[in-house]
Amino acid sequence: MVVLSSLGSPQWRINTSTQSKQYLTLHTLESIHPTDIFALAPTPSSILTGSGSSTIQIHSTVPPTNPSAPSTTSPAKAATTAIDGAGGQSNEQGKEFAKLQELKAAHALGCHHIAVARETFRRAASVGFGGEVKLWAYTADETWIEEMIELDMPLDGKTTKKAGEAWAVALSYNGRFLASTTHDGRINVWELEGSDAGKRIREYETKGSWGMCIDISADGRFTASGHENGSLYIFNNDTGRLLHSLPSLLRPVRSVAFSPHTTLLAAAGDSRTIALYEVSSGEQVANLAGHSAWILSIDFNSTGEYLLSGGFDGRAKVWNVGTRTCVVTHGESEKPLWVVRWLPKIGGRSEMFVVAGGTGGVGVLREASGG
Amino acid sequence: MTSDWVISRMEAIFEDQVDAMERCEDDGKLAICMRIRPRNSVVPAPFQGEHDAEPASGEASVRMRTIRFPGKSTPEAWKYTVITRILELIHEALISGVAITKRDIYYRQPDLFVTQSVVDRCVDDLAFTFGVPRSLLNVSAAAKGLVLGNFTIVRADGAAMNGLSEKEGVLVPNIVPTDTLNLRSVEFVLVVEKEATFRTLASSNLKDSGILLTAKGYPDIATRSFLRTISTTNSTLPLFALVDFDPDGLAILSTYTHGSASLAHENAALSVPSIQWLGIKSQDVSALEGVHARQGLLKLTKRDRGLAQRMLGNEVFGEGGLEGEWRNELLVMLMLGVKAEIQILEAREGGVVEWVKKRLGLV
Repeated sequence: MVVLSSLGSPQWRINTSTQSKQYLTLHTLESIHPTDIFALAPTPSSILTGSGSSTIQIHSTVPPTNPSAPSTTSPAKAATTAIDGAGGQSNEQGKEFAKLQELKAAHALGCHHIAVARETFRRAASVGFGGEVKLWAYTADETWIEEMIELDMPLDGKTTKKAGEAWAVALSYNGRFLASTTHDGRINVWELEGSDAGKRIREYETKGSWGMCIDISADGRFTASGHENGSLYIFNNDTGRLLHSLPSLLRPVRSVAFSPHTTLLAAAGDSRTIALYEVSSGEQVANLAGHSAWILSIDFNSTGEYLLSGGFDGRAKVWNVGTRTCVVTHGESEKPLWVVRWLPKIGGRSEMFVVAGGTGGVGVLREASGG
Repeated sequence: MTSDWVISRMEAIFEDQVDAMERCEDDGKLAICMRIRPRNSVVPAPFQGEHDAEPASGEASVRMRTIRFPGKSTPEAWKYTVITRILELIHEALISGVAITKRDIYYRQPDLFVTQSVVDRCVDDLAFTFGVPRSLLNVSAAAKGLVLGNFTIVRADGAAMNGLSEKEGVLVPNIVPTDTLNLRSVEFVLVVEKEATFRTLASSNLKDSGILLTAKGYPDIATRSFLRTISTTNSTLPLFALVDFDPDGLAILSTYTHGSASLAHENAALSVPSIQWLGIKSQDVSALEGVHARQGLLKLTKRDRGLAQRMLGNEVFGEGGLEGEWRNELLVMLMLGVKAEIQILEAREGGVVEWVKKRLGLV
C-alpha cells in the first residue's frame, strides 16, 4: 500500500488498492410514509417514493434555490419549525429535502414499484398492490401529472378479464418503452410514444415463475428479468427473441440491473450473493458475497464502477465492480431496505445514494469529500 | 358433488323467489319446496351419491312439503323466513369458504330462530333436500374450539368444571351469566390458529399458568364468546395470538380482535381488541429462513394474493385502518412472496414451546 503521507491528507488513501470509501449520512427524511417504503425512483432534483399509502411522495434532493430561504443553522431551524406548526405547509418549500408534491390516490392499495426514464426524467411509471400500472409525465412547470395512455393488456384465454397483473416495471432511458413482469412469468413491453402509444409490442414467455424484477439496458436493446425460481433471462428487444437464459441463482431473484454501458448484468436475491454476468456472452463473471440476508435491491452508479446493494437486514453495501470487493457497509437499522438507488450525478456534486424501506423514511448518503 | 353445485342450487331457489315476486300473479306466492326427513330416521342425510339420484325405493316415508309466504298461517310465514335466512347464511359461508356451526347460525338471529333446535332441524332438512351431507354445506354440528388451562367454571347449581381435567383440552364451554369463571391461577391466554400447535403446547407446562385456546382455524362464535368472557372477567390478563404468517393467519387474528365483516352486528359483543399478535411476523420468517434453508417457507398462492388484496381494502387492514402494523406485515408478505406456517418453529431448537415461552417472557 502506498501511503502518500507527504500530502498530509488521509483521504488520498482512497486511491490505493486496498481502498475503502466513506459515505456520510447527509440527511434523513424520517417517516415520510406510514408503512415501509417499497418503491423509490430518483431524478436529478428529487425522489419519488411509494409505500402502503395511496399517495406517492416527491421530495427535493437539491439545496433550495431561493436565496432568501432560511439558513439551516439551528436557531433559524427552530424558528422555521415554530412557524410551520402555526402556519402550515408554505415553509416546506424553502427547506432542503422539502416535500415538492404529493400524487394523491395514485394507488388505492399502495405502491410497490416506481421507475423513471433515466436519461430524460420526463416520464415515470408506478405499480400498485392491485396490479395496476400508472404513467406520469414531468411537465414544464416542474410537476408530475398522470399520463392517460391506455396500455394494451393481454387477455386471459378463457375470459375477457385482463390477465397478468403487473409486478415489476422498468422504463427505457428515453422513456419510450415500458416493460413489466407478471406473476405468471410473462414479460410485456409497450410503446409509449406516437400514434401507437399503449400498444404492446413484445411479449416474452418464460417458464411461468413469478417475474420479481426487471431492467431495460441504457441503449434500449435488452430487457432482463429475474424470477422467483432463480431463473434469469436477457431478451433482445430488436429481434423480440431470448438472448440468454442465464445460469440460475436457484433462489428468488429480487433485483436485476444492467451496467450503464450494457456490458454487465447484476442479479441478486435470496442467495445473498450478487452475480455478475457478461451481457454479450451470458457468462457469469463474478459472484459478490458478503450480505448475510436476502438482497432486495441493487443499482449501478452512473459510471458503472460501483454497485450499491440493500438487504432485508437493513445493511447496504457499496461494491467496487472492478476489484469485486465491498468498499463500504452501511446500516442504521435492522429494518429491510426495499430499495437503494444512486442519485443521478449532477455537476460538481459528490456521489450520493439513498436507502429506503422498513423505517418509512429515506436516508441520503454522500461520499465523504476528497474521494 | 361439490360446494359449487350446492351454491348454484341455492341461487336457483333465490332466483325463483325473485321471479315470483316480479310476476305478482294472484297465486304468485313465494314458495320453497323441501324434502322432509322421516321423523323416525336416525340418518339425517342418506343420499351421498350423485345429485340427480332419486330417493331409493322403499323410502315411502319421505315427504315433500312446500312452504309458502305469506302462506296459510303465521307459523308457515315464520317457517319460510327461517328457511330463507338459513339459506342465506349458508350461502354466505359457502361463498366465503368459511365453516360455520349450527350454533353460529342460531346466534346470527336468535330472535327469529327462537331456539337452537329450530336451526338444527332446518339445516338437516336443507342438507336432505339437496341430497348432500351437512358437511358440504360447511355447517358443523357443535363448537369446534378446544381449551386447556388452569381455570375453573362453577355453575349455579354448584357443579364445577376444571380446565385441566382433560390432558388434550375440552370443547369450549358455553358460559352463562349465572356461571362463575375463576381465573386466579391464569397469567396469560394464548390463542393459536391450529389444532396441531395446540396439541404440542398442551404437552408443555404452559397450561399450568395460562390458558391455551384454539378454534382450529377461523373462530366460531362459541370460541370468540369464550375468549370475550375471559377478557371481560379479568381485563388486565394479557391475551396473545399465534397464527400463521399468511393472509388467512392475519384474517383469523383480525376475526378474534375486531370480528368478521359478515358478522357486523355481533362484533361489538364478541370482539377482543386487547389481543396482542405474538407471531409469526416477517422478521421471524427471515430469521428462521437463515438457519433452516427454506424449510417451512412456502410461496404465496394466487388465492393468497387475492385474499391479501381484498384485506388491504377493508377497515382493519386498509389505509388509515385500525391496525397499521398488520397492514404493513401484509404488504411485506406480498413483497416477499412467501408465507410460513407455525410448524416452521418446530425446526428450531426447543421447538414451538421454547419459542412461545421466550416471546411471553417466561424464560
